[in-house]
Amino acid sequence: MASTLLEPIAAGQTRFHMQGLAPDGRGIAVGRETLLVFPSLDRLVAFLGAYSEECSLDDLIPSLTLERARRDGGGQALLLRCAGGDSYALDRLGRMSTAVHGQLFTGSGTVFVRYRDRLAPFGYDLAGPGAPRPGPRSAEAVAADDVLVVDHDYQARYRTSDRLDPVELIQRLQLRPVPLPPGGLAEAPDLCGLHELALVLVAPGLGDRVLAYLWANQVAMAGVRVALAGERRASLLLRLRQPSGALLAVLHGIPGVELLVPVSPRAAVELGYRHPIHLASASSCLPGDEMYLFRGRVGRVERLDGAPQFIDGNYLVQSPIHVRAPASDHRAGTGADNRSDIRSDIRSGNEPGDARSVASTPLQVALRLRPSAGAREPRGALVGWEQAALLRKLVYLIPPTALAAARLAVLPQGMLVLTGSSLGGAGAGLAAGVGAAALIPLGTRIVEVAPGVLVPDGFELWPHVRPQLIRELLGLEAADHALFLGPDIDPLRLRPEHLIPLDAAMISRLDLAVSEAPPSELVRTGSLGGSDGGTAAAIVNQHLGRFALWGFGRVDDSPLPVLAGRELPPGSTPSQGE
Amino acid sequence: MGKRLAEFVDGFVAPLLAGGDVAIGPPVRPADFHELLADVHTLRHIHSGQVLALRQARAQQLLADPGLPDPDGEELALWVGLYNVLALDHPERERVWARAVTWQRVEQAARYWLQLSHPGNFEAALVRHLSVGAFIDLVRHDQILSGPDGEQRFVGQEVPRRRLRWAVPGALSVRDELVPWWTSNHAPEAERLLHDVLWASPVTCLLRPRQAPPGWNPLTAAAFLHERAFARVVCHGWAASRSWIEIGGAVLGALLFTLTGRPTQEPAADLHPPDLRSTQAPRRRGSPAMAAPMAAPMAAPLALQATPIDAGPGDVAALVGALIHVHFLRVLEFGARLGVAPSSRDRPVQMFLALPLLLPALAPVLGTPLPVDPEAVHAGFDTQVQRRWIEYVEHLGELIPRTVVENLLATLVPRVVKATPA
Repeated sequence: MASTLLEPIAAGQTRFHMQGLAPDGRGIAVGRETLLVFPSLDRLVAFLGAYSEECSLDDLIPSLTLERARRDGGGQALLLRCAGGDSYALDRLGRMSTAVHGQLFTGSGTVFVRYRDRLAPFGYDLAGPGAPRPGPRSAEAVAADDVLVVDHDYQARYRTSDRLDPVELIQRLQLRPVPLPPGGLAEAPDLCGLHELALVLVAPGLGDRVLAYLWANQVAMAGVRVALAGERRASLLLRLRQPSGALLAVLHGIPGVELLVPVSPRAAVELGYRHPIHLASASSCLPGDEMYLFRGRVGRVERLDGAPQFIDGNYLVQSPIHVRAPASDHRAGTGADNRSDIRSDIRSGNEPGDARSVASTPLQVALRLRPSAGAREPRGALVGWEQAALLRKLVYLIPPTALAAARLAVLPQGMLVLTGSSLGGAGAGLAAGVGAAALIPLGTRIVEVAPGVLVPDGFELWPHVRPQLIRELLGLEAADHALFLGPDIDPLRLRPEHLIPLDAAMISRLDLAVSEAPPSELVRTGSLGGSDGGTAAAIVNQHLGRFALWGFGRVDDSPLPVLAGRELPPGSTPSQGE
Repeated sequence: MGKRLAEFVDGFVAPLLAGGDVAIGPPVRPADFHELLADVHTLRHIHSGQVLALRQARAQQLLADPGLPDPDGEELALWVGLYNVLALDHPERERVWARAVTWQRVEQAARYWLQLSHPGNFEAALVRHLSVGAFIDLVRHDQILSGPDGEQRFVGQEVPRRRLRWAVPGALSVRDELVPWWTSNHAPEAERLLHDVLWASPVTCLLRPRQAPPGWNPLTAAAFLHERAFARVVCHGWAASRSWIEIGGAVLGALLFTLTGRPTQEPAADLHPPDLRSTQAPRRRGSPAMAAPMAAPMAAPLALQATPIDAGPGDVAALVGALIHVHFLRVLEFGARLGVAPSSRDRPVQMFLALPLLLPALAPVLGTPLPVDPEAVHAGFDTQVQRRWIEYVEHLGELIPRTVVENLLATLVPRVVKATPA
């Protein structure tokens, strides 16, 4: 006779043989924990994928643990444990697990029993005292890391071998290739999820050409350079809004260009692939602020630090103006080419009808300096070499905060003292005060017409271009400065290594002498100076004798002499003095 | 040459003027002063004119070529008064066998010597400033003995050797402190005399208006601003201070108080011609002999007639011009950052900041900081200074409430413009 390890629970039953079981609102026995047993990893992934399509994995992840376990009788299984919840949630889990050949148990701790089925709509409990108990090794004998599952006619003991991190598992899953629409991308971009937004990851060498192509086609784009792990040069990540199918088809066919479909605010999957998990419902699987790019062709997951800060693609297009590096950051110039490098960009291969590229060629003008009457805050001073001695003396007068924030660049024309907001973090202390450059009454004043673009005071760049665009046109990198010295002089590029702190540059190395004076002498020598410039005198109180006021009491004998007809203090008798 | 006078000069006057150790011992008695006064004519010969040289050197810190008069009895009285103020603050007063009334006599004598008449000319005023300014700058070298029982401060003295003789090595430690005397704590008698010290020197009060005694009238020294070199010293001294706005507010506040007055503080103003000193006298601290008759209704003539200060519209104009010039100096030095100004609700400070806005009304008398003539612009000032000054004045216009400007236009400007002959 077959022994039965479980017995069905009757309607309204509230007491159970198995600890941890409790009836929920519908009278169904539910444990505190739920156990799903999958025979293999692909079944588990299929379950997670199906669940993420229907519900949110974010509800499951906080209490979810994945364990690889070995069955006592032989064989392996993957155990998924999560919080018990109510019978509705367990019904859903049971339906999905059954579909992927998994088994659902409920219980708590180490012993789990079969969840309800058609034969026992209120669930199962361990059989009563008269019935055979589960196995020779009872539930009490199960070790803490082991799991004992009890079914109708068998019990299985799983011994946990290792634990899997569900978040890591989801991130490491291999993408599955999916076919593109039969008509190609040009026919139906919306079928691929690219109708509204598309991300394009461009290999480092192709960035400029792709940008130029998109710019010429008037594609609304924004981009950012991202440094991918293991690559020396930054790749270009572009964001295209409502791209046309034809454009996507062109980009998709370019080696080195990958189209990514945004599947959630922080995840994008390469076109032609899909992630086994529905990532939109699994935001907790992508911790932190990073953005994840799942690349199927190369089989990598790229993590970007934080959400990418896209900037308008027009500013990324390669500049037609080039700035020559300073002939010598150093007084001994290299004698480099002195010709102006500002030249117009002759774009070849203009498409007919593209008014922007066709009409602008004859309109292109040079960016040049012209005199201006506009007032600007001085950001620097170019001090000639003949005034170096004066600058050396002025350093003593500059306030400490201004001195610390000032930078010095050594040019063939002289010394450039720079302060202000263009220096980034160094100028934080200057927000409320005056920079050292503004205090130095020497040389030529330098003002800032755009962030990091310096011109002599009284000049401006003509025509008026947006300040950010000037930097883009000059091809300046983040911490670079450009210095225009005059209308007929080529601009100089100042890299961060050209700018050295003024105090460090001007103040020579100090030699410390060993003090031999006792502390008391040091205090004496450091006496306070007078306000009028003289030396302040110091009071030394001599010892007073007992009779120091001798003579003050005898008013009559020692009258106060009268000075210029003035009143005498009471008790004093005037004498006929002066 | 009096030996006593030479000792006094060596021990007090010379180190006070030149910077050194000022030896303070028993107070100078009236009899001693009588003796010193008899030899005052020998002062210029003491140590081959050492005092004259020291005075000249100190005065040259302010002016390039000060023409100082020879020391006289008044200056000697000032020195003796200053010395006795320091003697009243002596830490060993408790050792002296004397009653409290005797110390009061010392205080009265010191006040008597410090009550000098208004200096007749600038040189006489400058001479007083040399001594009083050095007196304010005095420092004191204290030694503090620290031990297991606590600390003991030896004020202006060294720790006696007997205190250290039998001490366990390492149990006691001595450290030194340098204390500015003027701002430290004083004996009550010396504290009461500090205002008298400042009243003795109008130039000092003008150079350091924030230390001026209550009721101080800047017009007492405004006439000296006609000295071009001295006006330059005053303006640059004010402008060089970090608290130049507060200084300007203090000067202008005192000036406006003098000009407009308050009815409760001038009970006898109708009976007497404008005696500018009478407005300040009742507010003087520690002058009971004068304060009582001055505060009473003046039915009878005063026992001590204050020297009338003949400050006219020209003096007011000089003072206002100096204050406006301070603004210009700050603009020249890029120092006119008004970060503190909007938060200041002090009325005198706001009035001081409003002064450049009165320039259109005051220009016929005071002129303008920048030349109006375009040729002069090319000759001297560059356009940047002009631009900064215009920006500064416009900024002030946005900053200062209109009521402040209108108040000044009604009170201050008529006393400069209408009353001054063109």
